[in-house]
Amino acid sequence: MHVNTRIMPVEFEYLEPKTKAEALEMLAKYDNVKVLAGGTDLIVKLKTGADIKVDYMMNVKEIEELNYIKLEDNLVKIGAVTPLSTIENNEIINKYLPILSEAIKAMAAIAVRNMGTIGGNLCNSSPAGDTIPPLTVYDAKLILAGKQGTKEVSVEEFITGPGKNILAQDEMLVEVVVPAPKENTGAAFIKKTRVKADISKINTAVLMERVEDKCVNCRIAMGSVAAKVVRILPAEEAVRGQKVDLNLCQKAAQIVSDEIKPIDDNRSTAEYRKEIARVIVEDAMKIAWQRSGGEKIND
Amino acid sequence: MGKMKGAQIVGQVTARKDGVAKVTGQLPYASDINIPGMMYGVVLRSPYAHAEIVSIDTSEAEAMGAVCLTYEDINPILYNERSVSVPDATFRDRTVLPKKARHFGEPIAAVAAETEEEAYKAMKALKVEYKVLPAVFTAEEAMKPGAPQLYDKVYLGDKEVKIENNVAVIRNIEEGDVEEGFRQADLIVEETYKTQRTYHSQLETKGAVCKPEPDGGITIWATAQSIHANRQLIAQIYNIPLSKVNVKRTAIGGGFGGSIQVNTVTPICAGLALKARRPVKLISAREEDFYSHAKYPNIFHVKLGVTKDGIITAAHVKALVEIGAHHIQALAYLGCVSGWFASLYKYQSNIKFEGKAVYTNKVPACALQGYGNPDVNFAIESTIDIIAEKLNMDPIELRLKNYRGTGDEFWGQGPTIRSIIKSCGVEESLVKGRELFNWKERTKPSEKTGHIRRGIGVARGFHTSGTGGPKEGEVIDYSSDYIKINEDGSVDVVCPVVDHGGGTWDAITKIVADVLQVPLDMVEISPSDTRTTGYDVCTHATRGVFCGGGAAYFVAHKVKERLLEFAARIMLENPIDLDVMRDDELGQGVVYVKNFPEKRITIGKVAKTAQINSWGTIAYADSYRQKNCPPCFVAHFVEVEVNTKTGEISFPKVLIYGDCGTPVNPDLVEGQLIGAFNRGMGFAIYEDTLYEENEIGNLKCHGYMVDYKTPTSYEMPLAENIIVRLADTYEPTGPFGAKGMGEAAFSSVAAAISNAIYNAIGIRFTELPLTPEKVLKAIKEKGI
Amino acid sequence: MTKHEIEITVNGRKRRLTVKPNDLLLNVIREDLVLTGTKYGCGIGECAACTVLMEGKPVLACMILAVAAHGKNITTIEGLADGDKLVPVQQAFIDHGAIQCGFCTPGMVLTSHALLNENPDPSEEEIRDYLRGNYCRCTGYTAIVKAVQSCAKKNQ
Repeated sequence: MHVNTRIMPVEFEYLEPKTKAEALEMLAKYDNVKVLAGGTDLIVKLKTGADIKVDYMMNVKEIEELNYIKLEDNLVKIGAVTPLSTIENNEIINKYLPILSEAIKAMAAIAVRNMGTIGGNLCNSSPAGDTIPPLTVYDAKLILAGKQGTKEVSVEEFITGPGKNILAQDEMLVEVVVPAPKENTGAAFIKKTRVKADISKINTAVLMERVEDKCVNCRIAMGSVAAKVVRILPAEEAVRGQKVDLNLCQKAAQIVSDEIKPIDDNRSTAEYRKEIARVIVEDAMKIAWQRSGGEKIND
Repeated sequence: MGKMKGAQIVGQVTARKDGVAKVTGQLPYASDINIPGMMYGVVLRSPYAHAEIVSIDTSEAEAMGAVCLTYEDINPILYNERSVSVPDATFRDRTVLPKKARHFGEPIAAVAAETEEEAYKAMKALKVEYKVLPAVFTAEEAMKPGAPQLYDKVYLGDKEVKIENNVAVIRNIEEGDVEEGFRQADLIVEETYKTQRTYHSQLETKGAVCKPEPDGGITIWATAQSIHANRQLIAQIYNIPLSKVNVKRTAIGGGFGGSIQVNTVTPICAGLALKARRPVKLISAREEDFYSHAKYPNIFHVKLGVTKDGIITAAHVKALVEIGAHHIQALAYLGCVSGWFASLYKYQSNIKFEGKAVYTNKVPACALQGYGNPDVNFAIESTIDIIAEKLNMDPIELRLKNYRGTGDEFWGQGPTIRSIIKSCGVEESLVKGRELFNWKERTKPSEKTGHIRRGIGVARGFHTSGTGGPKEGEVIDYSSDYIKINEDGSVDVVCPVVDHGGGTWDAITKIVADVLQVPLDMVEISPSDTRTTGYDVCTHATRGVFCGGGAAYFVAHKVKERLLEFAARIMLENPIDLDVMRDDELGQGVVYVKNFPEKRITIGKVAKTAQINSWGTIAYADSYRQKNCPPCFVAHFVEVEVNTKTGEISFPKVLIYGDCGTPVNPDLVEGQLIGAFNRGMGFAIYEDTLYEENEIGNLKCHGYMVDYKTPTSYEMPLAENIIVRLADTYEPTGPFGAKGMGEAAFSSVAAAISNAIYNAIGIRFTELPLTPEKVLKAIKEKGI
Repeated sequence: MTKHEIEITVNGRKRRLTVKPNDLLLNVIREDLVLTGTKYGCGIGECAACTVLMEGKPVLACMILAVAAHGKNITTIEGLADGDKLVPVQQAFIDHGAIQCGFCTPGMVLTSHALLNENPDPSEEEIRDYLRGNYCRCTGYTAIVKAVQSCAKKNQ
């Protein structure tokens, strides 16, 4: 065993840009830069011996221009270095993206949420990352900036595998843009953990858009069941255009359970995850539907 | 020990003496000791479960300026880190650093350098050549012919013992006539239970700071439950006179049994310091601590015979214990487990115990709060509920018919330490407890519906208070104090007893304050070390208050005798006509004439007069052994909620009924009971350490707390739903009627939880922990 | 590695330090500033024994690079009381038997203090939730929750 969490065993140079432009310049100038955006994942990974090449540590938390939450043109915009605890208590978020707030409130300890940022959580790209399912069902776009300019990608496009994403060496995530959900739209987030402050054994976010008693648009995202957070398209398909009742929720939940191929790990088993996926998706659909203004679905 | 007149401080809630230091961060623990010029130590640990160490090349590390310590630097004496048992009952199988690694994470070599980072780099520069051996991870596998062998031979005392099939020790105990007992039974119930390898998870990781002294001696600050055990072992290994080895008593960030033995890192740190001739600080990282100690996992086969009217006639328990890579205390453990089982019920004194302990390539197991008691309690108390159901008898009635109580024999530390029970709150706790908990409203599992099912369950347990008995057995037990009255009437108590935080020191000061009748703020526990104190075995076995406090009670009485002699000289009276009483208005203790209390003199005045007249200091030092080990009892009533869709379990309500005799610190007793309930929840449904069973043999959690979850503030029942009651008992052999509490508090939590789960869903679980994964699987199989 | 000069305000005092990029704030506080009330417990942000307040908010010093703390205002457990005058939640920990071994106490007290600043009237549920990341092996948390609750405005 060659780690020691009493110290930071990895050596690097430290960079602290104060502006986005300065950060992008540094990214272009230096090789093997790791972006430090809170550190609650990156520092732990480095301490515990993860195979990460880092010659320069660039702390972006002091870039004030990337710390904001605003509503513009019906779009909720969140700066990448906005602390998680700021987001969870923000009025705009609570009004338009309530399950992002709920998901963050359910994460880790308060001290971790004070340190961690939305950009950090996304770029950590964990299959269990709690902000990812909500942002997936809200159809969030991520703005990636490089010296050459910016590009916009969906969360699903951004994350490619456990801890992996499409960010190039000279790029950084600068903003999360989320369209404000339409009227008559409801969403729910549920996670299962060993104890309250914990990484998800499994999590789900469900979004349902309602017209009268029918769901016209449904998005279901599952975390901790694959190499990355995944949408379960066959289940979404089964719901779209249908009258929503208990039967439909159970049918969709069963499809989710059948579709996912989780694994055994320290937090849970594949068997349990498949079993519990059914339970949490059904529950999340019931909540989402009610929040969309639909009638309460009883057992 | 007798009652006192007047307003007794023992039993009052008082602000703990170390409270301000603790809430302001000013109380030093071993890891907080900084010595100018000190180096930092880091340990190289085995990357394999089982491997010969062919060679260690330290040249590169030494070129970096590090001091390196390997097997070759240290006197290769074989020892056992634990010295609680007498030498003849102590197995010895280890050295400071080994020639063969027997578990992943075992210390192989160590380095010291100017900073922790430099030491870490130097450690990485050590080159070790291993010859990897096959490894074995379960007791059953380890006993099979052809299984990898951890040892050829070890020593028991001075006797060589050949190890075959990895069996470390067998301990069988039989009393009465078990065969006849089973013949008298109308019903025989047999069941097999498994308990897991939990980890202590004390918040302070193990560590030491060692400072070599100019006279060839060494001063040590170490995470320790016994300073004298540390002193004796270091002196023995490094061949230094005891008088030159001084172990300082510090605060300890949680014990839970994990530091009963001398921690593995302490002799390593001492070795580095002696070699470097400089102070060295060596503090384990959490992931190293995980590879240092764990609880013994057990497989119990239980067979109980019972008549149709509920009299248990015989008991036969087989225990298979997997001990890991070193024999820290399996012999004592098996004896104790037999005692915990034998002392729970009468079984008409027909008892058979067959215990076997087996080496494996896992982290060495050691005591964890309760020392096997919570484990065997889970087995017996589950079986009692099975019997009650089969007999269609109330489980509380069955317990009341069979428990060992006042006048019965109690095995406080296995079969060699026995005493007669003189105080017992079992009946009160069960009878009053069932009223408080609305036991009669309890319904059968078959009557529950819905996916949230509530159940209530009960279990009872106990633990010993210390390990003293009328006869000396295989366990050492006594304590020592030096108590002196200062020239203003205040009192210094110099004692070696370590306080894990449960309030042992507060208890000792209260006991002394009541014996000498001085105000509590005039009594302080002095900083102490092994040089200034007599021997105390260890703060273990729930002996802090009963044995540590018992010794303080005894010595304080001797001091009082001297005080009265000096006072008599001043007052021109006979000492026999004098006594002491606390005068709260004066803020002093006073000596007065018994039949004429108007004639009095303050204790401070007596002490000052003795000084001025050169009579001497009013003081006394002695050792004292408790010749009893009274059981402290507990009963747990637990309500659980089982979600049959998810297998998740929550705890709406709990009643904890404790019997500690006189509660010396009532608030801290409550804290012990609730704290143990939390750890019991962890044991019952959350915690385990699993291994990758391959040649690496690492923990699946890698020693990171992220994958060793314990119940937090959020999982606890609401404060108002945790009810704590204390039985009204008085232990005649304890200081002011006190006995212990700590470990008893943990003993029956898991059994009560499992019994409550049975009541909720009708499923009997026999293997801990009851994770949602396990519970849901069982629910699916049963078709709920 | 290039060393950096940093200036941090610790317990009201400006401190100038030279640190390496990979020095952890926890070790700088404990070793360089000799404020040993801040504890190492797990090293990976799971136990909160290393909690300090940064700009009044609880953060975990075991996961913070000291160099990144430049310019920040930090309160450690040693700086919470005003001289001998304990803050209410410190006194409440003593009064409610919320202390056992004491190793979690600094982090627990600082987190509780931050909660009461954010929310002077927390419910039991809110207290349990806010403290859920602070690990304590001894007390079972209940006495700690009660201590914090006693400081809530409604109970004053």
